[in-house]
Amino acid sequence: MSGLKRDWNGNAKRRDGPKTGLRQVARNAYTPMFESLRDELDEHHDRRERIVKASRDITALSKKIIFSLQRVRKIESQLPANIQAEVDFRLTEIAKLLATLAPEVQGINRYRYARSLMCLEELVEALTFAHYLRTQTLISHADLNPVVEDLTGRGADSVAGPASEDAVMADASDDTGKPTPPAPAMATATATTEPATVSLTQDDYLYGVFDLTGEMMRFATTSTALTGTMAGSGGDGNIQDNEAERPRTIVHDMHELGTFFEMLPVAPGNRFQWGKKLEVTRQSVQKVERLGYDRIIRGSERPKGWIPDLSVGGDPAGGQEDELE
Amino acid sequence: MPPMIDPALFDQLKSKIEEDTSIRKELDQILDDLNQHVSYTQGLLSRIHSTPRSKYATLFSQVEGGINKEIETVGRLSEFASQYPYYKYNHKWNRMVQDAISTVILCAWLGGMSTDSTPGEVGRLLTLEDIGQAFKVPVNLKDRDAFHITIEEYLLGLIAVIDDLSRLAVNSVTLGDNAMAVQISGFIKDLHAGFQVLNLKNDVLRKRVDSIKYAVKKVEDVVYDLSLRNLIPQEGK
Repeated sequence: MSGLKRDWNGNAKRRDGPKTGLRQVARNAYTPMFESLRDELDEHHDRRERIVKASRDITALSKKIIFSLQRVRKIESQLPANIQAEVDFRLTEIAKLLATLAPEVQGINRYRYARSLMCLEELVEALTFAHYLRTQTLISHADLNPVVEDLTGRGADSVAGPASEDAVMADASDDTGKPTPPAPAMATATATTEPATVSLTQDDYLYGVFDLTGEMMRFATTSTALTGTMAGSGGDGNIQDNEAERPRTIVHDMHELGTFFEMLPVAPGNRFQWGKKLEVTRQSVQKVERLGYDRIIRGSERPKGWIPDLSVGGDPAGGQEDELE
Repeated sequence: MPPMIDPALFDQLKSKIEEDTSIRKELDQILDDLNQHVSYTQGLLSRIHSTPRSKYATLFSQVEGGINKEIETVGRLSEFASQYPYYKYNHKWNRMVQDAISTVILCAWLGGMSTDSTPGEVGRLLTLEDIGQAFKVPVNLKDRDAFHITIEEYLLGLIAVIDDLSRLAVNSVTLGDNAMAVQISGFIKDLHAGFQVLNLKNDVLRKRVDSIKYAVKKVEDVVYDLSLRNLIPQEGK
């Protein structure tokens, strides 16, 4: 405790003076104007704070989803059941948070708080990655938007509980809005007439997909190391004589993504960030390229079906699955 | 099996990005014009530091000409920008709109910008609503997405006026107008008290508000020098 001020006798001084003094600023002709501006600014700051909090939680949950997905070993139409369960659990949590966010980011406020909504990039990364692992394709912006809207809707339902359609959103905004600041009348009004949803901007989508390339690189590395095959559709990734029958592997997908971003014009919003992300993408593409090369050169020396014997340190794939169940 | 990336996706994203770029180019053109009018008006207004109060009328007729050009360009900006999400592009014009606002506030405070209903007088502060009316655009919009003047822009514009007036306090004494210095001192102190009412976050507004105290100090020093020498004009004289 070092905050005590003492008078010349060494007795602690009471600390009420300056604080209350500051509050009671002498009133003058302009005080009412500043008071009304203060209330408006406070409303904005409070809303931003609520958004930032929810956004941080959504980011953390999305990252956890990505970690779960990194335990997948191959591209299949169905994720392994235990991983799917983890992802679903996190998505339910995210859905609730999205539902609390939705009324705050309607209309003009969508872009006003865009910078506080970085969580959406992370969510796009998680969702596109899950989609890739199931289908080996990149989900489009138009197809991803309904997914997020659907999540938001489910979140609103689960927060409000089974209630009549009209009451659902009203309840949601009442229950989830922090108790102190009354929800702005406008937001509640739009919420009751039409369920508010969170929409993805083009930047959310593009920067999320940029990050997807990093996750694909990590996935390609672990899955190749642990299974001895290049992740891809069907086949074992071995060279086939017939060009047409050669299965498409992740190397090819990475090349396509790389070309995709190289060919897109630079989005003018934040050229600096775009440049950085593009550079990281290039590196990821090259890492996967190298993997593909190693796989062709050394993989042919590797007996078919041979898997690294990791029993000494515990088989990571098997071990992890045990833990999760 | 479907390709990794649907070719339609690429085309769609590409055209969206190109559209974004062309919107920005068009905005830049409007903002170039606005910049020109604002700089010109600011330049004219800097003559207040060397113009005695009796000659304000001629100066203000020129200044108001510049302000009318500003208003006209803000109108063009408003019309164009209202087609797109306001907060997507507003960082491009924040600064310039602030400067435009401050020219209007300063001119009105010094007695310009008189209308039929409100004659100009020294010491008149235009509120955010007045500024909206002057520029013929909405202010602090919340219920729809269109161009408007924000609270932050108004407050930052006002702080620029405070800085300019603190300089004028010094120069008005040089021009022999001691009453002006005293009036500026009272105004700045009142506004300083007003800004204390705000709950500020650690952002640009806070930084600028923190600088007001230097303006207060500057005008207080001027008033001190005057009172020491008994140069403060008495009421009713």
